[in-house]
Amino acid sequence: MKKNAMALRSLGIIGVAAATLLTMSTVSGAAPKARGTASVIKIGISLSLSGDFSADGIAYKQGYQLWAKDVNAAGGLMGHPVQLVILSDASDPTQVVTNYKTLISTDHVNLVFGPFSSLLTLPSAEAVSRYGYAMVEGAGGAPSVFSANLKNVFDVTLPVAFDLQPFAKWVKALPSATRPKSIFYVTSNDPFTQPVVDTARSMIGSSIKSVGHLVFPSEATDWKSIADQVATAKPDAVVLGSVDVPTVSAFMLAFQQMHYTPKIFVCTAGPDQGRAFTSAVGAKNADGMMVPNSWYGGSVNPMSKRMVSEYVTQYGGTASGVNADIAEAYSVGQTVAAAVKATGGTDNAKIMTYLHSGVTIATVQGAVKFNSLGENLSQTAYTFQWQKAGTAFVQVNPVGDKASVAIEYPKNAWGK
Amino acid sequence: MTERSTPRWRQASTAVWLVAGLLALLFPVLEHNAAYQQIGVYTLIFTACATSWNMFSGYSGYVNLGAGVSYGTGAYTMAIVSRHLDPNNAQGGASLFWVCLLSGVAAMVVAYPIGLVALRVRRHTFVVITIAIFFTFQLIAINASFTGGTGGLFLPYIPWNASYYDVPFYYVGLAMVIFAIVLSALVRRSRFGLQLLAIRDDEDRAMGLGVEVGKIKLTGYVMSAFTIGMCGGLFALLQGQIYPQFVFNPLFDISIALMCFFGGFGTLVGPILGAVVLESSQQYLTVQYSNGSLYLILFGALFLVVILFMPQGIVVFIRQKRKQRSDRRIAALGAQ
Amino acid sequence: MGALTDGVLTGSVYALMATGLTLVFGVMDIINVAQGIFVILGAYLSYTLQVHFGIDLFLGLLITIPTMFLVGIVIERAFLARLKGPEKTAMSILVTYAISLVIEGLLNEIFSVNNVQLSASYVNESFKLFGIYLPYIYLDGFLLAIGLLGALYFMLYRTRFGASIRASLADQSAAALVGIDVKKVSTICFGIGIAVTAAGGMIFGATNSFNASTSYDLISRLLTIIVLGGMGSLAGALVAGILMVTLEDLVGVLWSPVWSTMSFFVVLIIVLSLRPQGLFGKQSARVA
Repeated sequence: MKKNAMALRSLGIIGVAAATLLTMSTVSGAAPKARGTASVIKIGISLSLSGDFSADGIAYKQGYQLWAKDVNAAGGLMGHPVQLVILSDASDPTQVVTNYKTLISTDHVNLVFGPFSSLLTLPSAEAVSRYGYAMVEGAGGAPSVFSANLKNVFDVTLPVAFDLQPFAKWVKALPSATRPKSIFYVTSNDPFTQPVVDTARSMIGSSIKSVGHLVFPSEATDWKSIADQVATAKPDAVVLGSVDVPTVSAFMLAFQQMHYTPKIFVCTAGPDQGRAFTSAVGAKNADGMMVPNSWYGGSVNPMSKRMVSEYVTQYGGTASGVNADIAEAYSVGQTVAAAVKATGGTDNAKIMTYLHSGVTIATVQGAVKFNSLGENLSQTAYTFQWQKAGTAFVQVNPVGDKASVAIEYPKNAWGK
Repeated sequence: MTERSTPRWRQASTAVWLVAGLLALLFPVLEHNAAYQQIGVYTLIFTACATSWNMFSGYSGYVNLGAGVSYGTGAYTMAIVSRHLDPNNAQGGASLFWVCLLSGVAAMVVAYPIGLVALRVRRHTFVVITIAIFFTFQLIAINASFTGGTGGLFLPYIPWNASYYDVPFYYVGLAMVIFAIVLSALVRRSRFGLQLLAIRDDEDRAMGLGVEVGKIKLTGYVMSAFTIGMCGGLFALLQGQIYPQFVFNPLFDISIALMCFFGGFGTLVGPILGAVVLESSQQYLTVQYSNGSLYLILFGALFLVVILFMPQGIVVFIRQKRKQRSDRRIAALGAQ
Repeated sequence: MGALTDGVLTGSVYALMATGLTLVFGVMDIINVAQGIFVILGAYLSYTLQVHFGIDLFLGLLITIPTMFLVGIVIERAFLARLKGPEKTAMSILVTYAISLVIEGLLNEIFSVNNVQLSASYVNESFKLFGIYLPYIYLDGFLLAIGLLGALYFMLYRTRFGASIRASLADQSAAALVGIDVKKVSTICFGIGIAVTAAGGMIFGATNSFNASTSYDLISRLLTIIVLGGMGSLAGALVAGILMVTLEDLVGVLWSPVWSTMSFFVVLIIVLSLRPQGLFGKQSARVA
């Protein structure tokens, strides 16, 4: 009897919580309906404003907001003003799912934009697919996102595996006299960097002698011993599969301490972080560092130029200091806007059909055209380099491209 | 608990609990908002875990800050088994719920050797050893190949519509909560439970009285892993994909302990109360304060205030207040 | 050879940070999971002094060490001294975790989440010793860590106050019985435990780039170091700190970096199964 009472009591507490939730939801559910005007197009986004991805999350937020501001300044989407509803997910894949559910069922958003990183994109894409919503995103380019075979995922950014293609082409094509004699591949065992380095490695093949291939755990914090091994081999070129600035800066520091300057030092991520990178490593040291990306602040694309100047007016800094995340986020907005205009509304099913139809959409990052998996393969990858003592971040690859400038090769000594 | 014994009080409280219990059962029927349904499922998962954690740590005083080991083991068991059972995504989800039982068993199998090693030290040292073992497991999950490493594992996609996706999970979660509570209540009333409590009060004395402390502690530790493992399995299925850093999550360890301390360490109702209040308020804070660092400051400060002012938890706090009141009343009666 | 020197040099810095942690545990039964964020706080203090006031990293320690000592005293008085009862250790984890959340939030607000690194001429430069390059910062950091550890040991073993700390380490109630003011000893101990993070943080910040969330990696490493060394054992913290980094570096060079962190945990598990109290830990009062 007493046992039953206990169980009953516990059940009761959960009931009270349930009641609280019910009230909360009624209150919050009712409010927007009362206030909301039918003409506003609401777009729901979950972003990591704290936690591991917070640096990128905050940049994404700026990018989305910049897009919304521009759209509204131009009279909105087909006459409807755009309103962004942004929730924070603290870089947690559980929270991101709750957030998109809240956005759709409580805030009644018409459309959703993607979160930052593949890690969060996949769970949120699955969640919104159950509502029949399209998930257009710019930061979910890992193979896992596409292998889930969801019909509602559209990544406006080139899949990461292709990132180093132009670099590999360029280095292979160098005349054998000037071509690097040796190359070292070192990468984190991260699902987003390993494919990039592996693709580059297989493309370069035997045209440059590989003097080492090291994989280190992604949670490593003591990079010095790994970096020392690379420096000891004294390769002409280093390809580093890095996920963030701390990894790159640790390698750079260790190389400097070992009195070793590679002729080529290309990293999959880190140097693309604009000011966040130069402030961590020192601008002079940044000189010569290379990174693949789909966009950069100095892009000659007129759309991009306009966006960059707006960004600089609003947030300060220089064009080359603008984070590529901003452009990715902005492109997401542009892609969705094109789909809304073409389909005449915010019907997600129509939007998905439209985006799958093979149309090409112009964005600040370049052309966007989706294949059946939602990958955008039509975009060109570029390689960028910090030049002029770390004050300019310029496009150097592909070599034939009219926007590319001469590559700094071999790289200057550290701090020069 | 003498103060509760008036018949009037008993009737009233039964009525309140009955109504609230009914609400818990009907919640998904009344609430169609998927976001709140999902918060409901997470609250249930945390309630079951906290209750189960408390059944060992709360009763014996051996605070386990490595509960994430059981949770993660459960989650990976679910992921690996369900992928094996349903490699082509053909069966849908409902047929996979029973795998949670396997998750629970796996968590127990893993808990046994850990308990053998970790329970041999003083209880203060035990706390830190459980943390160290937890990080070992997280590392294994990150580096081993059968766990998919940092790329995580993907479970069969469950093609249910959003409007009822969470409902089955809610009821399975509710069943787990009831199971955990009944088990915890049974243990508390049993000879075994008394032995655990004796260890908490004074381990040397308990040993002197002939309690086989080593065996009792190990049994309690392994038992509590079962429900936590099942919850890990349920979470993996609900989430659809798992990553090492999120199922072997140090925040999980801390949250569970915090819920129990907040509600009432070693009491039966405390962990339930703690889980329900903290999980929902955390969700609320996250949504309200989308500025990340402000959220951290607020949450941390709130957390500090609660621990410092109610160190024994809400349940004990209320009981003491009520006792003080009835004592005063008795004293007043005596004075008349 | 390079890995070995690196290991010993970096390891001594970890040992210094872990010593603060193990001292606090030994004397107060408190596990300070905020140690990681205190290291980062120390690093940011050095950073601020250097960037805004142009004060050299090592010179700045004259300011940051006393500051961190005071921070420790205040936190101990305000929060930790209130903890009592058999669940004190577990409660202390929750309290210090809450403190670390607040500090993390504040640091994010003030310094943003962008990573920074401390720079100085001796950070980038190195000298050649037996055919390997040795960065000055590693050597300086090593000397500093050893110097501070030495001072700490001297204080513990050669002064009256040290004797009362050691008495409290051995047995708190007995120490109270012989007239030692355990409360005062605890407060000062916590202050010392935090003060070492100012030095540890400066060296860490000069050898790694960091932001507030780096503290999570740090605290997990520091906790495992003191578990391996033996909770409350100063010698244990020193040996385990050096052992951890050296082992990781060696495995990384000789085998594969993927297994370098794992190797330390394997050693940890083996040691714990044979000696649950750690390498230098006190034998537990009861063996079940």
